Amino acid sequence: MKIRGIKPMQDTHVNVTPLIDIIMCLIIFFLLVGHIAKAASVKGIKIPSAKNGKDMRDKSDQLIINLVPPIGGYGDNAAPAILIWRNQIPDSQLASYLRKQKSENPKIKVVLRADRSIPYKFVAPVLISCAQAGIASIHFMTRRPG
Amino acid sequence: MPLSTKHKSRGMHGAHHVGPNMTPMVDVVMVILIFFMLGSSFVSPDWYLTNNTPAIKGGLSNVKTNAMPPTRINIKLRVRGTRTIAILPGLQTADLSGELASFLTNKHKALVKGVPVQIFISPSNGVPYKDVITTYSDCIQARFKQVAFRPPPAQ
Repeated sequence: MKIRGIKPMQDTHVNVTPLIDIIMCLIIFFLLVGHIAKAASVKGIKIPSAKNGKDMRDKSDQLIINLVPPIGGYGDNAAPAILIWRNQIPDSQLASYLRKQKSENPKIKVVLRADRSIPYKFVAPVLISCAQAGIASIHFMTRRPG
Repeated sequence: MPLSTKHKSRGMHGAHHVGPNMTPMVDVVMVILIFFMLGSSFVSPDWYLTNNTPAIKGGLSNVKTNAMPPTRINIKLRVRGTRTIAILPGLQTADLSGELASFLTNKHKALVKGVPVQIFISPSNGVPYKDVITTYSDCIQARFKQVAFRPPPAQ
């Protein structure tokens, strides 16, 4: 005799385990990317705007040079701080630092992230140091106008 | 009680889901994910102006300016009061990214096609970085490809 009642009932729930796995991976990815971006850039820099900038698709091998304006203005020979990965690099050592980075990674791309108000006399030494280190391309970080 | 009904009720007891209820967790995780995705889209993407600087071995004295194209335009940037003015042959303007951009565009159109032109941007010490960038952006807008920055004049 066939008894209908003992037929095992199948679980009709959707299996959400793979969904949770993927979502967790995405969250960890966003957290890590945010953390890395925070470490590479420094707060307190107002980036200048430019109409003719472009996106940089390949962001590998970037070296971001942050030029942070002095807190009290430019009086009394105060100069902007040069920060790379949150480490302050003295002006006099920038060329040798870049040379070392270039020798370790010949594909290195320098991104200059300078405050809009910084006088050119503090920007020019950075450009000269890059040129002396043999870095043939500098990317000026800007923002879209508006 | 009929036999068939008894068996049915036992079968239903066996089908209860015994694992943890994942629904609230999925809800929370989805909210976090949407927050991160929206947060990243609100951050304006980086926007770059790329410049090809000459690599110098042994300092500035080794820059070979004679290796650059003979047709050159020198854009001097000077500070007048609170404004930056651009000075170049045939134009003196404080309207960067306006008058300067259209002047450079017309200049580029007037040039013989295929003749390379070297632009020099020569800011003085006090010119703000944003004006240097605006001038450089104007040069790119006018389709000049070879743009170099001169060190500021010695004080």
